Formats: sequence, C-alpha cells, structure tokens
Amino acid sequence: MTVPPPATLYDRGVDVAVLRSFSRGDEGAVREIYHAYGRLVFTVANRILNNRSLAEEASQQTFVQAWRAASTFDENREMGPWLATIARRVAIDIHRREARRPATSIETASASEPALVALPPSAEQTYAVWQVREAIDALPPDERQVVRLQHLQQLTHAEIAEEIGVPLGTVKSRSFRAHKLLAARLGHLRDGPDGHDPPDG
Amino acid sequence: MAGNDPDDRSRDADRINYLMGDDLDAPLHPDDQAELDAFLALVDDPSLWDEPGPDLGDRIVSAIAEEAREAGLVRPTSALPPPPPADTISATPDNVVPLASRRRNRILDGIGAALIGAAAATLIAVVVTRDDTSTPSVAEPDATITIVGTELQPDASGTAKITVVESGVRIELDVPGLPRRDGDEFYEAWLRSVDGEGLVPIGTFHDANDVVLWAGVTIDDYPILTVTKETVAGPKDPNQGSSGEVVVRGQLGG
Repeated sequence: MTVPPPATLYDRGVDVAVLRSFSRGDEGAVREIYHAYGRLVFTVANRILNNRSLAEEASQQTFVQAWRAASTFDENREMGPWLATIARRVAIDIHRREARRPATSIETASASEPALVALPPSAEQTYAVWQVREAIDALPPDERQVVRLQHLQQLTHAEIAEEIGVPLGTVKSRSFRAHKLLAARLGHLRDGPDGHDPPDG
Repeated sequence: MAGNDPDDRSRDADRINYLMGDDLDAPLHPDDQAELDAFLALVDDPSLWDEPGPDLGDRIVSAIAEEAREAGLVRPTSALPPPPPADTISATPDNVVPLASRRRNRILDGIGAALIGAAAATLIAVVVTRDDTSTPSVAEPDATITIVGTELQPDASGTAKITVVESGVRIELDVPGLPRRDGDEFYEAWLRSVDGEGLVPIGTFHDANDVVLWAGVTIDDYPILTVTKETVAGPKDPNQGSSGEVVVRGQLGG
C-alpha cells in the first residue's frame, strides 16, 4: 500500500501543492519556498563562506538547483535537510572557486599552499547551524533581541538592560525564557538519532 | 533538555543559567559543558546572525523564471501574496562594544583552537565533498575534487565530478589547461591504488574539457586519479601501458 504524502512538509509549513507548483517554476510558490527557507539557506551558506555577498550567490544557486531537482524530490521527506545539503554543497563549490590555487603538484605543495583547503563543515554540523538559526528565528522578538545582544554582541545582562532601556530583571527573565525555549527546541541535537534525521538520510 | 528526575531538572537549570551567562557555584557536568560549548560555538558566531539582502528573493524568482522560460515551462501567475518583509531583528548601534573578557569567550577560544587544530589535521591536497542527499539527480555529483598539475604541466588545474551509480563510477573531468593532443598523441586517465600497485585505465581523450570517464573499480580501492600523456603504442609497448608521464592528478578519497 502506498503511503500518501503528508499535506505539509514538516516544520516550515510548506504545502505539498506549493512544492509541486515550485517544480513548475510558479513565481508565487518560489516566493513561498524562499520565505520559508531563504534565511536558513543563507545562514548555512554564510557559515561556510563567511561572506554575505557570496552567501547570497550561494543561496540563489541553491534555490535554482532545488527547482531543477524538485520533480525528483520525495514529498515524504523533509524539505529543510534537502535544501541544507544543496546549500552546503553549493557553498563549498563557491568557496573552492574563490580559493583559486596555483597549479602545484600535490606531492610538493607546502602546508600553506592556498590549494590546500581545510575540510568544510560536515553535513551534520551544517544542519546544526540550520536548526539553531531556526530555533532563534522562532523566538518572540523581544527574547530574540536579548539573545542576539548576549551572544552576538557579548553583552552582559546589565549592559543589555541599559542598551534597550528595560529593567535588569526583565532582561534576565527574557533571557531565561529564551534559553529555556532554545534548550527545549534543540535538545534533539544532543539526543542524536532519535531526533530529526541529519541531511544524509 | 527537561527531565522528570530532580537531578535532571537541576542540570537543566544549570545549563540554562550557564547559557544566560550567570556564574555558577559548581562546575557543570562535563557532558553538559561539552554540549553547551558546542551550542555556544554556533550561536556566538556572527555569521549565524547575518540576514540576506531584501532583494535576494526577487533575484531568485527572476533566476528561476528565466530558466523556466528557457526550458519552455509554462509559469502560471500565482495568486500567492509576495513575501512579507524580512523578519529583521532590531539593529544594535555601532557604538556597542563587545566585551572580550567574559568567560564564554575563553571557552570559545578553546573551542576555536580545537576546531582550527582539527581543521589543520585534515588539510589535504584536494578537497573531497561527499553528497549527503539521497535525492536522485543525475546532474548532482556525489563529490567534486580538485585536479592539480604536476611538474610536467604546472599550469593545468581543474575539477573532477564523481558520481557513483550502480553500473560504475562516473567521472566528469574538466581540466581546461591541458593542451590538446592529436594524431598519435592523446591523454589517458587512470585510477591508482595508494600503494601504486594497482593501476586501472578509465579512458583516453584528446583534450580534458568536460570528458566523461567510467571506472569499474571502487574509489576506496583506487582513490588516486591521474592523467598521463600517451602515444599510440609501438612495438616497444604492445599493451599500451602507462607512459608514466603524469600531467595532472587528484585524490578521490582515502
């Protein structure tokens, strides 16, 4: 018996009908898929490339490649890991392109040779970036702001309170709620195979 | 992270307090420390917080629309609304100075050093990236490797896209820097074992622009790809063996 595909593709709420429209190049469907996954694709690419412009190029290529392959995409699978995998591969290709290396025999190349490139993040690491970003995006704006100032700007609670003009206790409670939510939403990363499948499944 | 056991709840609270930056009287459980350090290495990375430009969606729509038109696909106008503006997070003024002396930074420094060390240990002459998707797509290789020139052809470089299918290993070689060889001269590609004992021919060609080669051996056993300069076999080489004149090479794995 054939198991019917789910009506909704996992976490981002993209309908299967939208995916099918996407595969036909329907503009509205492309926009909907981008709205659901664009920031996450960009985050994965930016993590690898550490360059906004190149990350945007990688994001564009990712969606174009996804569109080309959309007709082969298994609707029973989650779209996020699939897109994350494409994004990772595209970003690595761009990174390699940007790291133009002189033609050198690999036997004689030194460790500082530009052609010698460190291995990129694994698929699991890449998907962890995706999921952390997704969890942060899901926070209420006021809590996300506190987390952002705390982690990106490395501010203390007192500094955050001064920065956004709210009492210290408010900052602490927002931070606590936010981190509790993050801990709950990202617990599966620690739990391993029982959590979400990594994108190599 | 939440558990029903009181000890679990206590550890959860410790973890959250740690993430919040509050000092703890007692050190964290080592498992928690590792977990949280890994999380902080992600969440403290500025690249995680960057936002794509507001026109990126339009560019993607245009790029796909253009390809769809070229492919002759009908692209119906959709009634779906345009995307809402980016869900931006309120910006932080430029005069906010990050604090460098926090405990978290020390931890991250340690993690960073460990990651750099791990990365340095994995330096290899070519980069092999395995395709982790199971999506069946002929256009997507399983891996793309870098091909570099040897002393015989130092200006040559390119790529090889590796696709493993049931019938064998498909290798799409693209090394535009190799000069064309005609007449009795040609190139030959080989897969070689690490110990050099095994050498399997996988095809001959005039130039290396988008050449498709096929191998009937596994890349685990024969991970080294080489291309040699060859001439049509004469009496001294009736079996058309390798000349040994390797012009480019790359490593598929191993």
